[in-house]
Amino acid sequence: MDEFASQAPSRGVLAALGISKSFGAARVLFDVTLSLAAGQVLALMGENGAGKSTLMKIISGVQTDYEGRLEIDGEPVRFHDVRQAQAAGVAIIHQELNLVSQMTVADNVFLGRESLIGGIFVDRKWANAECRRLLDRLGISLDPQTKVGALRMGEQQLVEIAKALAIEARVLIMDEPTSALSPSECQTLFKVIRQLADSGVAIVYISHRIDEVMALANAVMVLRDGRHVLTAPIGELSRERIIGAMIGRDVVKHERALSYKSRPVVLSVRDLSLLDRERQGVRKAIDTVSFDVHAGEVFGIGGLLGSGRTEILEWIFGAARGERGGRMAIEGEEVWIGSPIEACEAGLAFLTEDRKAKGLVLHASIGENIALPSLQRLSRFGFVRRAEQARAVDRGIAGVGVRCQGPEQAVGALSGGNQQKVVLAKWLETGPRALLLDEPTRGIDIGAKQEIYELLFKLAERGMAIVVVSSELPELIYLSDRILVMCEGRPMGVLPRGIASEEAVMRLATPASSVAYTAHASAA
Amino acid sequence: MSGSAIWRTLSQSKLYWGLIAIFVFGAAFSPATSSGRNIFLSYGNLTDVLRQVSITGLVAVGMTMVILIGGIDLSVGSIMGLGSVFAGLLLTQGGWTSASTTGIPIAALVGAALVFVTLRFVIKQTSAPAPLAKWAPAAAGLLAAAALIVWTTRQVDPKFGVLATLLVASSVGLTLGLLNGLVIVLGRLQPFIVTLAAMVSVQGLARLTAGQDSAVLPIYPGSNSTASIDAVRSMIYGVLPAPSLFFIAAVILSWILLRFSVFGRYVYAIGGNEEAARLSGIPVDRVKIATFAISGFLAGLAGVLYAAQYRQGKPDAGSGLELDAIAAVVIGGTSLMGGRGGVVGSLIGVLIFGCLSDILQLHNIDSNLQLVLKGLIIVGTVLLQERNLPGYGQMLAFVQQPFRTRETKGGRIAPVETAKVEVPNEAS
Repeated sequence: MDEFASQAPSRGVLAALGISKSFGAARVLFDVTLSLAAGQVLALMGENGAGKSTLMKIISGVQTDYEGRLEIDGEPVRFHDVRQAQAAGVAIIHQELNLVSQMTVADNVFLGRESLIGGIFVDRKWANAECRRLLDRLGISLDPQTKVGALRMGEQQLVEIAKALAIEARVLIMDEPTSALSPSECQTLFKVIRQLADSGVAIVYISHRIDEVMALANAVMVLRDGRHVLTAPIGELSRERIIGAMIGRDVVKHERALSYKSRPVVLSVRDLSLLDRERQGVRKAIDTVSFDVHAGEVFGIGGLLGSGRTEILEWIFGAARGERGGRMAIEGEEVWIGSPIEACEAGLAFLTEDRKAKGLVLHASIGENIALPSLQRLSRFGFVRRAEQARAVDRGIAGVGVRCQGPEQAVGALSGGNQQKVVLAKWLETGPRALLLDEPTRGIDIGAKQEIYELLFKLAERGMAIVVVSSELPELIYLSDRILVMCEGRPMGVLPRGIASEEAVMRLATPASSVAYTAHASAA
Repeated sequence: MSGSAIWRTLSQSKLYWGLIAIFVFGAAFSPATSSGRNIFLSYGNLTDVLRQVSITGLVAVGMTMVILIGGIDLSVGSIMGLGSVFAGLLLTQGGWTSASTTGIPIAALVGAALVFVTLRFVIKQTSAPAPLAKWAPAAAGLLAAAALIVWTTRQVDPKFGVLATLLVASSVGLTLGLLNGLVIVLGRLQPFIVTLAAMVSVQGLARLTAGQDSAVLPIYPGSNSTASIDAVRSMIYGVLPAPSLFFIAAVILSWILLRFSVFGRYVYAIGGNEEAARLSGIPVDRVKIATFAISGFLAGLAGVLYAAQYRQGKPDAGSGLELDAIAAVVIGGTSLMGGRGGVVGSLIGVLIFGCLSDILQLHNIDSNLQLVLKGLIIVGTVLLQERNLPGYGQMLAFVQQPFRTRETKGGRIAPVETAKVEVPNEAS
């Protein structure tokens, strides 16, 4: 980091001056100015709809109709399509990668720019050698002749970078490159990005992950509602200040009193095990997991993907597939929950990982979704009492702060954050005693995230027992009073608030025998 | 109202417009009687259309529910055939036949189960005292079974009356539908496969029930059967044909059920997202089984109406019926993916079909050509249904397209048109 920060941005490569853009009557960018120096990593942040993508599309020649001026090396330019931008050295890597999975790495890197022999045959030999050279420059030990489809997400991301290098990009824009990567893949990517920056490439890095940005970028620029709100060197910024700038209000650090210990236990499980022959072979998906969750406690479950986190929640909710072993009690009373129906009757609520596939009826209205699990209570002689339902729905929408046109709006038309709030409202309406949350903020704006965090803390204070599973370690640590860390189905330990850190969780979560992911061969 | 608003309204109510268009077409081009009266619009013809569509319509109502949960029921045609065979046997042959020996216990069981379930549900809603809540439904169920057995058994030796026939045939249909549902849910199988299998084996069952050498069981009311069967064939007070009454009642009841009841909401939720519904604590399996049972029930009922209408019981009376019903449901705007649509659409789909074949018949169109036209109509209507008509703006653009010049794009980096650029004063 230090040698990185000391390398002062030398000369301006790219400047976007007073950029404004409207789509019809809607203005999405207001006079935004950005300047980028060689070797600089600029993190561009903002909520969805803040105008980040539009700005980047203008810079990379995708969006050609705008007001304002672009300069490359101080020379004014106006791109009319992506090729012109590429020719000028501006490349963009979209969130959804643009690779042909049936083709090799080298073919992908030189796609559309193949060197031809006699004007007909693709010069494979040259392509492979040239690709090898590019990959070496990035310190990536991938075989140029591997098919891209056989690569992992992280490796594919690296191929995209190589592709950008092949056109000798001097400005590289990366749109949420880590959203589909594992932690170790992220580390490799960061290494490559730093190397690129050291070699003089200017990088615009779009991300929602603040911790990533703090570690990687040397300046942050924040957009909100199409306006520039903040540009500052990373050294002058804190996590709270960035979030505050993004959502337009101050973020208070939430201080939770550790009051749950004196409160009664709501949910306790003992020796949970799950044997799923279809999915897991002989290994147990969960193996002897026991814990108690108190009223008012937020109990986190951490671990890598496939460590059994989700399966614990499914076990508790009666939705797990496979042979279940173990016991559980709700408010001291032992229960056996065989199906989600029984779980709902017992006062449990389960917010699933994938809200679109498992949480919501997307084309149905907000009201119908909220009322769905409570219909029995809202009906008489099998017929829904409309007035009662309308009241419940209004209460739900207001309770979690869903921003919508009204209860009749289709859920599918809402933003991810508002959809997730609808799922929460739907469960809160059933009056649960314990809330099971699987990745409660996946794919959600930072502002909505913060609102959901605050809502969860409020619910906990009112005595709800909350179990949270999350892959985002900062989130898990921020929310949880205690964190159970899982590894390959087994509980590795429980970390209380204050002791739980990303390092501590990762240490417990990583299998002892596993080898760290090594895509980088060079010792750089 | 602006052009686009009119267009939108038209687009949203296109289902009704389709029916209206066909109706208007039929009336406009109808042949006239010798006295100059319009045949298509005559009361006799219109009630005839209603009569014709009632059997398909009844089946389509059950099919709508099954399709709404994201399923399909291919067995309804065979169940309808079996129902007509049951009706043929019960109405024309006294004594213990294959129909009465199997039908009476099934009817008793179904009756008992329905009374039990209904009463238990009502008691649950009213929070009656515990002992009553526990025993009353079972007792009432047994009582109902006993009463049914006595009532039907006494009709074995003479011949079955129309009420008992309706009861037995629909009970048999309901039982088969229930079996469909149970196999689908417990075996976690595709409804398509399960009901396809049921279609085949129920067809066989119908032939077995009818007996070796009777492809058709003729029914002559008043001579070989009780005259009461004509009650479900005649005009009610000379106003409406009796079969259409069954159809209309089924449409209204299922409309109420789908729109206002918890069951209906569950049906839509399951069709919309089964996994989300299951994880919301909804009894998905029970609801699915119930829809198949309802579909079977209505198919069995349709079998009796067929027997009364065409004066025969025939094992393969319903071959192709399932496809007609599915076509009507889909034309009515119900999505085959489930979760969207409703029974009113199916009513209209059925009527569109009915009017169409009536018009073709009035014009003496060759019956093979009728099939071709029917197929084309299905594709055409569904195209309009699924796709949503292009928006008003799009239509305009499409029409104007040839008159507009294309913008050309430069191939090289163009120099900045400095006049257009406004450099902000406070550029940092």
